[in-house]
Amino acid sequence: MKVRDKIYNKLINVSKPERYIGNEYNIIKKNWQKDSIKVLTAFPDVYEIGMSHLGLKIIYHLLNKEDNIICERVFSPWPDLEKLLRKEGLPIFSLETNRSVDEFDILAFTLQYEMSYTNILTILNLAGLNFYSSQRKEDDPLIIAGGSIVSNIEPVSLFFDFVFIGEVEDCLIDIINRYNSLKNKGLKKKDILKKMSKIPGIYVPSLYDIDYNNQGVIKNIEPVDNSIKDSIKRQVVSDLDQAFYPEKFLVPYMDIVHDRAVVEISRGCTKGCRFCLAGMTYRPTRERKKKTLLKLIENILKNTGYDEVSLTSLSTVDHTQIKELIKDLTAKYEDKKISVSLSSLRLDNFSVQLAKEVQKVRKTGLTFAPEAGTDRLRNVINKGVSEEDLYKAVEAAFKEGWSTIKLYFMIGLPTENRDDLIGIVNMVQTVLKRGKEIKKKANKSMKPIRINVGISTFIPKAATPFQWEAMIDKDKLKEKIYFLRSKLNRKGINFSWNDEDLSRLESIFSRGDRKLTDVIVSAWEKGARFDGWGDFFDYSIWLDAFADNDLDPNFYLRERNMNEILPWNHIDMGLDPEFLKKEYDKALKSKLTPDCRFNRCKGCNICFNLDIDLDVVGNDYNVYKS
Amino acid sequence: MYIRAEYEKREQLKYISHLELMNTFRKTFRRAEIPVRYSQGYNPHIIFSMSQPLPVGVIGFHEYFDLELKVKKSLGLIKDQINKSLPSGLKIIDGVFIDKKEKSLQAVVNTAIYSYEMSFSSEAVEQETILNDFLNEKKIEITRFRRNKENRMIDLATMIYNGRVLKDNIWEFTISTGSSGNVRPQEVIRALKLKTKGLIQEIPLVNIKRLGMFVRKDGRLYKPTNKEVLKKEVNKS
Repeated sequence: MKVRDKIYNKLINVSKPERYIGNEYNIIKKNWQKDSIKVLTAFPDVYEIGMSHLGLKIIYHLLNKEDNIICERVFSPWPDLEKLLRKEGLPIFSLETNRSVDEFDILAFTLQYEMSYTNILTILNLAGLNFYSSQRKEDDPLIIAGGSIVSNIEPVSLFFDFVFIGEVEDCLIDIINRYNSLKNKGLKKKDILKKMSKIPGIYVPSLYDIDYNNQGVIKNIEPVDNSIKDSIKRQVVSDLDQAFYPEKFLVPYMDIVHDRAVVEISRGCTKGCRFCLAGMTYRPTRERKKKTLLKLIENILKNTGYDEVSLTSLSTVDHTQIKELIKDLTAKYEDKKISVSLSSLRLDNFSVQLAKEVQKVRKTGLTFAPEAGTDRLRNVINKGVSEEDLYKAVEAAFKEGWSTIKLYFMIGLPTENRDDLIGIVNMVQTVLKRGKEIKKKANKSMKPIRINVGISTFIPKAATPFQWEAMIDKDKLKEKIYFLRSKLNRKGINFSWNDEDLSRLESIFSRGDRKLTDVIVSAWEKGARFDGWGDFFDYSIWLDAFADNDLDPNFYLRERNMNEILPWNHIDMGLDPEFLKKEYDKALKSKLTPDCRFNRCKGCNICFNLDIDLDVVGNDYNVYKS
Repeated sequence: MYIRAEYEKREQLKYISHLELMNTFRKTFRRAEIPVRYSQGYNPHIIFSMSQPLPVGVIGFHEYFDLELKVKKSLGLIKDQINKSLPSGLKIIDGVFIDKKEKSLQAVVNTAIYSYEMSFSSEAVEQETILNDFLNEKKIEITRFRRNKENRMIDLATMIYNGRVLKDNIWEFTISTGSSGNVRPQEVIRALKLKTKGLIQEIPLVNIKRLGMFVRKDGRLYKPTNKEVLKKEVNKS
């Protein structure tokens, strides 16, 4: 009997049972043939988060288009279902055919957030699998991972048989077939992994020995023998325009986080914000052509019935054909009541005019991210926008009738001082004031002006120019949040911020090493689940877990010496280490580095190291270039 | 031009909420390229309404919705187009054109029939006798639990129209639903539990099925698509 037949009627006792029923429109349920390769994709968070993740959708449809591969899905069970499964003695099951993990050949995790690490363990445990790759049995499924946080995967590396570094759509099918043929030859898992480690982008953590000095700092990272590569190079899709993109998206019943058609118009961003992990690790910029995008959008809308399409990218309005694309989309879809949304806006009038164009059908809020409170600090992080840019952009927005504006800032940035915080307060108050003035003058009635201020804590990330920087102290952080709250506590301003302890834990993992693996296991055993969800996060569990393993959280939060061997030293994201150092140095001098799309090369060396070119499609760009 | 459609919601889809069901239909209409009409204003939406919601966990066999169309198309074609675009578990069974002046489903549907897979605390139970005694009660008082409001006492006696034992352990009740007196399906079981001093036990919602929704007129039940219910005759082609 299938797992869900046993649990089916009991789902009435858990919250949101529709998370576990599958059966979405466009679901792919294949015949379970003996010689098919069975892959279970896992996302260590709940359904509505996982189903909003583009990478997972690409993999699901990419694999299922192959006749010899079956790909199904599993998400983290909410604690109430976990409890129910344990009570009934049942394993976790796939959404498509309700099979348990041991019926699959490969369990593939998509990782995009450090705070979901304990959820990996829940899935492994409910599948009856040992956490550590080294302790799993020969006939257990192969357990692999990939995702946006692989620039430092060390804290969870020992759970996986291998990790893929970079963009996988060009080589995933070959990798799966290669694994299958090695397995069919009857090779032992250990030997298979050794052979697989030769494939570019594949990182087999067990094949690297790590030595520490008596302070716990890494002395050496070395492959176990000289047939293993020294470092693992990030893989990139060279022709995004022609790369696989799904058109028959699953249509969830639940109101998921991004419940709309999504098209990735470009990948990579070269603006060079120094805090930004994605900006550094998805380089270079590659765009899809307008023609390709229009066709994709048409098919996706037809296949899903969505009434909204989101143009997604790290920097949507920087696409070199964005204006023409939006013009064509609104002309084509306005009558059908299909609206277009932009995933990110720049701080300029051009962005506001685009937003105005796309929001003819439905008007939602506008979001801008000045990130810091003074021009000086924005230069430190290479944001490169001025206070005046913000005021011009919001004034344009208010004049176009928007009444709610969301502003994002970061605190705890390198070199930040009191003036920078006062700068945030001034900017928010000025935006509110200008909004009110425009409302007063407006002919037609306008809703009351609302400014939503989101403050996030800066976390130094691996493979960014700030990877050596210390994480801000908890007390200082609290003080800063208190200061901003007290100054911004007034009518028309809504203020939100991150939990201080949660930011610290995220920071620990962002630059952590392999020793943290045991800490994660201890915390899970003590009950840590869904740490990214405020209602579950309990920092005291984590402090206990650190103590149990004789590790000090502060060791991971400290400033790093430039000469130190960092835990992710063997993972080559393609960035020249000298570039990162130079950028850090320029940051401290608050010097800007312009976007290399419109200037000469700035020496990050990605294009050379990964043998790839910037690929932009618009004519304007070529004018720049010549 | 309005269409009144009869559909069923079965299998896993018993776990999706009323709001999720409405969104599923909206997306289905767009996939099926049904010539729907949109409301005016900042946030246009498809003009579409449904009969009283099914509780999450309960399967429904004869449910209804009204949908406005911009242009008239054959009923058979619309039904086929929608059915091709629905996920498994949802299916249109039938439909009629109705006049736009017809009262809404929520206003006309006033009765529902539910089946219950019963649970008893002892094995030897005279099911027929218990049921008949229950139906003959003059007063059937229970507490209604209300979200964000105070509990209150209600009397179900006048709102339970009929009941019968379909087969062993499967009972059926015809009860009032809607704005002029609403009985929640589980309340019947709670009342039975009280009256039988625990001989009849509470059951999970998944043991309950909604067999149909009706318009009760002069003691008789009609489907909301029945011409006895509709004010104006509209041809069925």
